[in-house]
Amino acid sequence: MASVSTATVVPAFARASRATPAAANSGDARAPSDFTLTVNGRDHRLAVDSRTSLLDLLREHLALTGTKKGCDHGQCGACTVLLDGRRVVSCLTLAVAAQGRAVTTIEGLAKNGELHPMQQAFIDHDAFQCGYCTPGQIMSAIACVNEGHAETDADIREYMSGNLCRCAAYPNIVAAVRQARPAMKTASRD
Amino acid sequence: MANAAAPTPKANMGAPAPRVDARLKVTGQARYPSDTPVGNPAFAVLVTSTIATGRIERLDLDGARAVPGVLDILTYENTGELKGVKFGQGSSTSIEDLGPEIQQAGQIIAVVVADTFEAATDAASRVKPTYSEQTPSATFGSPGVTQEDATKVSPQHKHLPQAGDAEAAFAGAPVVIDLEYETPPQHHNPMELFTTTCAWTADHLTVYEPSQFVYGLKNGVAQRLGIDPDKVRVVSSYAGGAFGSKGTMTPRTAMIALAAKRLNRPVKLVATRAQGFTIATYRAETRHHIRLGAARDGKLVGYSHEGFEVSSRPDPYVVAGVEDSAQLYAFGAVATKVNVVHADRNTPGYMRSPPVVPYIYALESAMDEMAQKLGMDPIAFRRVNDTMNSPIGNRPYSSRSLMTCYDQAAAAFGWKDRNPQPGAMRDGDWLVGYGCATAVYPTHTGPAAARVRLKPNGEARVQIAAHEIGNGAYTVIGQMAAERLGIDLASVTVEIGDSRLPPAPVAGGSNTTASSCSAVKKTCNLIRARLFHAAVTANDGPLAGRSADDLMLQDGKVVANDGAGESFADIFRRMGVAVVEDYAEFVPDGLKPQAIADLYAGKVDMVGGSHGDKVMYAMGAELVEVRVHVLTREIRVPRIVGAFAAGRLMNTRTVHSQLMGGMIWGISSALHEATEIDPRYARYVNDNLADYMIPVNADVDQVQVILVSEVDHDVNPAGVKGLGELANVGTAAAITNAVHHATGIRVRKLPIRLEKLLQA
Repeated sequence: MASVSTATVVPAFARASRATPAAANSGDARAPSDFTLTVNGRDHRLAVDSRTSLLDLLREHLALTGTKKGCDHGQCGACTVLLDGRRVVSCLTLAVAAQGRAVTTIEGLAKNGELHPMQQAFIDHDAFQCGYCTPGQIMSAIACVNEGHAETDADIREYMSGNLCRCAAYPNIVAAVRQARPAMKTASRD
Repeated sequence: MANAAAPTPKANMGAPAPRVDARLKVTGQARYPSDTPVGNPAFAVLVTSTIATGRIERLDLDGARAVPGVLDILTYENTGELKGVKFGQGSSTSIEDLGPEIQQAGQIIAVVVADTFEAATDAASRVKPTYSEQTPSATFGSPGVTQEDATKVSPQHKHLPQAGDAEAAFAGAPVVIDLEYETPPQHHNPMELFTTTCAWTADHLTVYEPSQFVYGLKNGVAQRLGIDPDKVRVVSSYAGGAFGSKGTMTPRTAMIALAAKRLNRPVKLVATRAQGFTIATYRAETRHHIRLGAARDGKLVGYSHEGFEVSSRPDPYVVAGVEDSAQLYAFGAVATKVNVVHADRNTPGYMRSPPVVPYIYALESAMDEMAQKLGMDPIAFRRVNDTMNSPIGNRPYSSRSLMTCYDQAAAAFGWKDRNPQPGAMRDGDWLVGYGCATAVYPTHTGPAAARVRLKPNGEARVQIAAHEIGNGAYTVIGQMAAERLGIDLASVTVEIGDSRLPPAPVAGGSNTTASSCSAVKKTCNLIRARLFHAAVTANDGPLAGRSADDLMLQDGKVVANDGAGESFADIFRRMGVAVVEDYAEFVPDGLKPQAIADLYAGKVDMVGGSHGDKVMYAMGAELVEVRVHVLTREIRVPRIVGAFAAGRLMNTRTVHSQLMGGMIWGISSALHEATEIDPRYARYVNDNLADYMIPVNADVDQVQVILVSEVDHDVNPAGVKGLGELANVGTAAAITNAVHHATGIRVRKLPIRLEKLLQA
């Protein structure tokens, strides 16, 4: 299985293309912006209120409700997605600002029914109870490993601290990341 | 390497089966209510009052209405058709109206509905109220608060525990302590926001809302709308954390239902995090006055406990945890009293372990102080006062394994290495303290009904309107059915969280596993009996003529001890049925048969805890190491060990997670959590997840859970004592006691922040 970081690498010029937003067709922020967004490898043509957050776009316009709203203020991490392989809080990311970049959500991890090693590790270690923060935790955990911030338990705790879990599955989340780390490295070499 | 998350079962414990909903939860497919697709929804955004007491004189809606896409605005002027449902009769609060009277800060005063969330948010910010404002009473000590005796105003607490003559006991006791403790307001802050989606089809309403009680919400909403409850369906397949906050109906639901009706279009509300602090409930602040008297050998002779709890102006919400604390040790004489203090606040409500979190914190802190005064080890002191009979009426415990829990936790922790002298243990720049406390939670069982269908291929479907809030309900209900029907867990489909299913009680009081599994067990037993009857009454089957008592279900067959067996398929064929389905109603001993009809009507009675001929409690012992930095006074909890006994444990994996998460909740209570109130305006200051402190991953180090075997045939047919609210009880006291042991400083007001350790 390919890791997410390799799957979502985009050419550098894609970032530059953001400088010419298709949304600049009106001075009114409420006017719909027309743009294309690439989510989990699929392109979506969109016309939405320019103020729409990436989170609300995923949930309310693309029916990708795996990404959760926990605070809408970037304080809880429940809405974490990958943007060009890097973790971002989608509630503080305007949807129009994500055009030209590869968005990966929790729905984009499993390939042909086979779970990503991080998803399997979360099951194995019961790294959740209610499950609401879980998509954000998993997206964050994948990025955490790819950043090289999962080499020690102390690092995992520190670099996973942007994702709150009110059920407090934290020790199990650490164990899950520890399990998935070598599996992800093996996968990325394949 | 052993998987700590999946402990090996000991006696009377079920397998650590992975959660049956795990795959859905890790792939984003678990459908929480606000994830449910509805056709062309409009979006609602709430406007809430900025004052706590007064009146709306004028509501300027022009700016809001001018926003393109705005469809409707609900205010007190157009919501008069909503009926009132009183506090205690299905509603979390009596403050239900959108005005014009304002009785709490953050009261909903308008619901703005628009084509998009963005337009509704924009418009909501343009609603301009003009108030006439009065000075509110914020909390304890504020001018204008009023106080009442809980026994006079709370129907559930007409009698509080009393035994013997406590005053005389204190007068004659050689060692007496007389102390006061205080706990802050706390908000549940489940990760999922408070959402409501309402859709009408003709005169039928469907409500998608995270709920701990779909039948309660269904009946409550029907009452507010003045319609037949049969025309309301509530769906809550998953709740993204609840902790009590989603147990009773809050005012928003009927407002969204009305908005959807007026528009003839589905309406979806996702309230903001800040609004969640005022449109739902919270754990109120409490004060405690405790006296303990003891003989020199440590035997307690008297315990008195007077509690003070804040509630709203109109509602007497009170938890009265003395009902439980008074049962805990051989106290001798007991005197208890509870006072409700009314302030201009939203009405508090159930929050994880409502009665015991504040009251056991106070008692277990006092127990440590008494042990200190007696010069006794705190565990030895509890052992001296351990009892198999409640001091209230000398009633026996149905089972009690407290000291076994202490022994196993102490061994794992290394308690014997504790130097009893406070401040004597040090590691470099860190002062080290060991503390302990008892965790206790009343065992509750409620009525429930279940429908089970078995197919000839050994697949089963279980239907019961229980609630998945992270408790593992899908999984343990499936395990009970699999066990009774002799099939794999993977062959069981469980449907819960829908008011179209047979009813289960509110997922409160940690009763879900006990009540639901008892109902499922009863229903499965009916199916077993039918299969056994068909097998033994056959003319020529392999089990013909045998006694049904000698049969069991195994691997999709009815089998006898000697190995003879007949497949479900063959038995079904003889019975002439394609499926065997049954429905059963379970009413625990001590409740009237009417309990099921009440449950259908959204009312729940439960048995257990301090009531009845036997007292029923789950218990545990928590031992904690605290480190306080000598210079900065930074407080860390490097390790905590808890040992717990709670009757039959259905699944050691889900149990482990609940107990582990519970202890971390306890750490949070001790060191992190408090809702700060501005006393001038009776408003919450830190109403967001950056300023309301809860533990993050980096705050938590070693958390060890020890499961202690216990068998209890008295509590309920499932033999289960609920434990979802067990492990966060006592933790704050254990940490308080460890902080004292590390520093010599006794903190009697939670949370313990480092500024409280700057003295001396």
